[in-house]
Amino acid sequence: MGTSVRLGPWVFATLAAFAFQTTPALAQGLTPGEYKIGFITENTGPIAQAGQSFWAGAQLAVEDIKSSKYIGASSIVLDPKESGSDAARSIQAMNQFIADRSVIATACCILSPVAGSLKPVVLAAKVPLVIYGATAAGLPQPPWIYSMTILPGPKDTATALLVSDAIKPKTAAYILAADNDAFKGRMAPTQKALEAKGIATAGVVSVLTKDTDFTAAATQAMGLKPDVVLVYATQQAAAGAISALRDRGFTKTIIGNDVLGPEAIYKKMGATVVGIPFPVGFSDTIGVSAEGKSFVNAYKAKFKVSPDSYSAQGYQMVWFVAQGLKSISGTPTRESLSAALAKLEKFDHNVYGGEFMKEGQAQTTGTIVVNWSADGKLVPWTAPK
Amino acid sequence: MDLFFEQLINGVALGSLYALFGLGFGIVFATLGILNAAQGTYASWAAIVALAAAEHYKLPFIPALLTGVVAAGVIALLVDQVAFQPLRRRGKDMLGALITSIACWIILDSLAGTATGHNSLSFPRGTYPSTMYHLGTIPLPVMQIITIAAMVAVTVGLHVLIRHTRFGAAMRAVGWDQTAASLGGVNPRYVVIITAFIAGSTSGLAGVLGGITTHNVSFMLGEGLMLKGFAAVVVGGYDDVRGTALAGVALGVLEVMTSQYLSSGLRDGITYALLLGFLLLRPRGLFGSLTYSRA
Repeated sequence: MGTSVRLGPWVFATLAAFAFQTTPALAQGLTPGEYKIGFITENTGPIAQAGQSFWAGAQLAVEDIKSSKYIGASSIVLDPKESGSDAARSIQAMNQFIADRSVIATACCILSPVAGSLKPVVLAAKVPLVIYGATAAGLPQPPWIYSMTILPGPKDTATALLVSDAIKPKTAAYILAADNDAFKGRMAPTQKALEAKGIATAGVVSVLTKDTDFTAAATQAMGLKPDVVLVYATQQAAAGAISALRDRGFTKTIIGNDVLGPEAIYKKMGATVVGIPFPVGFSDTIGVSAEGKSFVNAYKAKFKVSPDSYSAQGYQMVWFVAQGLKSISGTPTRESLSAALAKLEKFDHNVYGGEFMKEGQAQTTGTIVVNWSADGKLVPWTAPK
Repeated sequence: MDLFFEQLINGVALGSLYALFGLGFGIVFATLGILNAAQGTYASWAAIVALAAAEHYKLPFIPALLTGVVAAGVIALLVDQVAFQPLRRRGKDMLGALITSIACWIILDSLAGTATGHNSLSFPRGTYPSTMYHLGTIPLPVMQIITIAAMVAVTVGLHVLIRHTRFGAAMRAVGWDQTAASLGGVNPRYVVIITAFIAGSTSGLAGVLGGITTHNVSFMLGEGLMLKGFAAVVVGGYDDVRGTALAGVALGVLEVMTSQYLSSGLRDGITYALLLGFLLLRPRGLFGSLTYSRA
């Protein structure tokens, strides 16, 4: 008994010391620090309107993650390098990020060909890349490449079917950016779905992404005498084609795509874009979740404009990386972060109210079909009476 | 057949923009001896200034257009005097001027990007005429009529100025040999300044009209006009404005008809194949003089 009395404190002390040493190791968490995302921006160039939205959303996410202490005492910093949507400049920027070992992850690209050109570079260098805007199928490749772009293809088809059910067209013409594989890939299933419903294809009018004059293309499309025109083109080309159609007196239905979502498009096109239905992955006014509302309010407070789908994607992209970091114990490496990101299926932070990750591709359920109202608000599209 | 004529008018209107731009580009080359890579930025800046005049200062169409045109002329004049005049004084060759013009192009392009927030803007409806006329069953937007009329007026005006006035004779003399021109009583500096202004404003007019009709006012506006305007000058012959005008219109028609009846993908290829063909087979262009030696 006497022995046990003498041993008791020692055993207790030993166990306590063991527990003291092992417990932190079991729940060590992320080593505090600043973790850098190399962000290839597209704030200039032909699609700068979208690029600026992605960048603004990402900046807000960095602030929100820090203020909410989502990754404890750690924070994320964005290291921007501008590409102007140019593949060569993007590769140059990516090579600089790869060389900078303080960059733990990278983000890029609105244009699919640019994202495609970066893919072999990041796979060879083994650095996590999160795509925030490019839409071509097959870009994600876990554990290194992920896409937080809400793929517009299925939403395009859903929109075309919804509008067609309402206006009952017999023929459809398509204006297609023929030099953009992503838009080609998006148009084909919609065309097939409409043809399956008995809506004949009157013709496909090809334009090029860098075109500025769409008068001839609009004339060509109107010459096909379609009941509806569907526009599959990048932002500037879509805006130009729609303006040219309306300028030449085309009053029938035009179906747009998600590139018409940013507020800058309404400011540029004004009445021309009013009433044209298009799908959005995120709306600041329609079907917004609690987290979405919080995002909208913070965004408006910071940037004095409403967020669009691109802002939401930029925002979610940073949160996705943050969630990967949060799940890592100790000091993260590019390898451990990529492994952590590969395990993520659900998102802790979700402005869409239903986003999930499947095989490296973020997805949402449902389609919001909207149009610009005369007073410059995105409103749910309703069939003309 | 209606479609053919509609596209023909579209082609002529588009070509008129190329021609207008090419006229300014050609005058600089023929008179000042500069292959000015910054010429496209004058068009961009003209459109930006005209848009600001129409949108922020609520100027009606014609005053806003003139503001843009004059602004482009002033920018061209400043660029010439700040960047090219020192080279002229030191007797530098065309390569030096070309490199300097590339630097000016990059600077003015960057400033234009900053001025527009790197966005593509457009003239609000109501700030320009938008009446649609009809030629039988063929729709004819008034802006296309204005563009074609402006091209014809500027071409005739420049032709008369260059071929039938004393100042035009001075321009041609300076273009031929500045020293000989000054020995003949011409003030080359004065001619250069006026020529730079005319060239800048002519390209600026193309910029404003192009910005309105294409709904694209951005720093990239001039780039598209630059290559096509250059092609118009080469095909038409750089020392005769009639050739540039005709070639510009032909390029526009060719471009539109290629898109309509062949493929939009072939459009630029055919344009530049034509350019290459002229450079190889008839480097003096359609109307270029045989004895001109600057090329």
